[in-house]
Amino acid sequence: MSRRLALVAVLGLFVGGGAARLDAHHSFAMFDTQNRVTLTGSVSKFQWTNPHAYIEIDVPDGNNPPKHWTVELGSPSILMQGGWKFSDVKPNQTITVVLNPLRSGEPAGLLVRITLADGRVLANGPGPTGGN
Amino acid sequence: MRPYVRPPEGRAIRHWAAVALLATVVAKGLAAQSAVPPDLSGAWAPYRGGRGADPKLAAPPATEILLKGDFKKSWDARRAAEAEANKKGEPLATPAVECVPYGFPRMMSVALYPIEILPSAKQVTIITEAFSEVRRVYLGQPQLPIDQVPPGYYGHSVGRWDGDTLVVDTVGLKASIPAYQMMPHSDRMRITERIRLVAPDYLHDQITIEDPVALEKPVTYTLAYRRLPNYKMVEFVCENNREYTDANGAVKLRLGQ
Repeated sequence: MSRRLALVAVLGLFVGGGAARLDAHHSFAMFDTQNRVTLTGSVSKFQWTNPHAYIEIDVPDGNNPPKHWTVELGSPSILMQGGWKFSDVKPNQTITVVLNPLRSGEPAGLLVRITLADGRVLANGPGPTGGN
Repeated sequence: MRPYVRPPEGRAIRHWAAVALLATVVAKGLAAQSAVPPDLSGAWAPYRGGRGADPKLAAPPATEILLKGDFKKSWDARRAAEAEANKKGEPLATPAVECVPYGFPRMMSVALYPIEILPSAKQVTIITEAFSEVRRVYLGQPQLPIDQVPPGYYGHSVGRWDGDTLVVDTVGLKASIPAYQMMPHSDRMRITERIRLVAPDYLHDQITIEDPVALEKPVTYTLAYRRLPNYKMVEFVCENNREYTDANGAVKLRLGQ
């Protein structure tokens, strides 16, 4: 799934054709959706929680100590619509994530796509049809 | 002038036609009374329009929101401030950011979250997956005067079947809780829904908002849903809310360790 379609699926802010607007938990304008960061690191924590799930990862940084990043995901419901299970990520696993970083520059972002430890690739929610 | 006299056979034909028409009306009335309501039970996902959607099943366009005086001023100012804040990457917070429920009518259309409808003889219960909000629509009861309903998130809803359509009337919604598209409203707001199956597994909820204090004219929009057979609603307890509102009213994310 393309990044653009993934975002549309995750955000789900609008329906087409001038029809009614849908609401979301919060605006995603704090994330820079024009840019992506790819990180490979070790999971320190996976929180399968509402209103969002989170992955905390430590990313190797050369000779420096690993850099810590926070990854925001959709909610468990939205992730399950995209094929996720609560047990898909575990501490100490090595994963790769593609993020839309925070526009503030802090080390955090909104998940676009993840490559799990077993090689499976999942988006941050259902496919382009958005569960329809 | 010589009066017109209808021939006797013509009168007889008219008489029988009237009897047949009356019989048809009575039969239809009885059928409507005894008809089994359509099965609205189960989980329903928002059915989005746009590319690939069946236009007959997708929601028709909404009507324009035309607010009066100060309501329009506050709504326009909020929307302008939102657009400006979004440009800066510091979106303005809404109550949902603090995990405060949406209330009716916004609860009926939260992102991709399903709703569940539980009809029974005297009540139709609607549970949303996002924030686990609950509405109760009492069937066969008269609506209360607005002033007798304590203003709340869900108000007081009564419903009746009009043929194959569940018509729901809701009053008693708190003026402090924004309605459709975050529009402000008064405590005089009344919402009428016409809920019906447009196909065996597709549901439309046509929502009309009337507010003689805040609106120049009623607003009507439709939410479309697709049935989710065998879907089990997912729990939603807002236990790990890392978003918060800063001193400027912007949404911020609390980072983990």
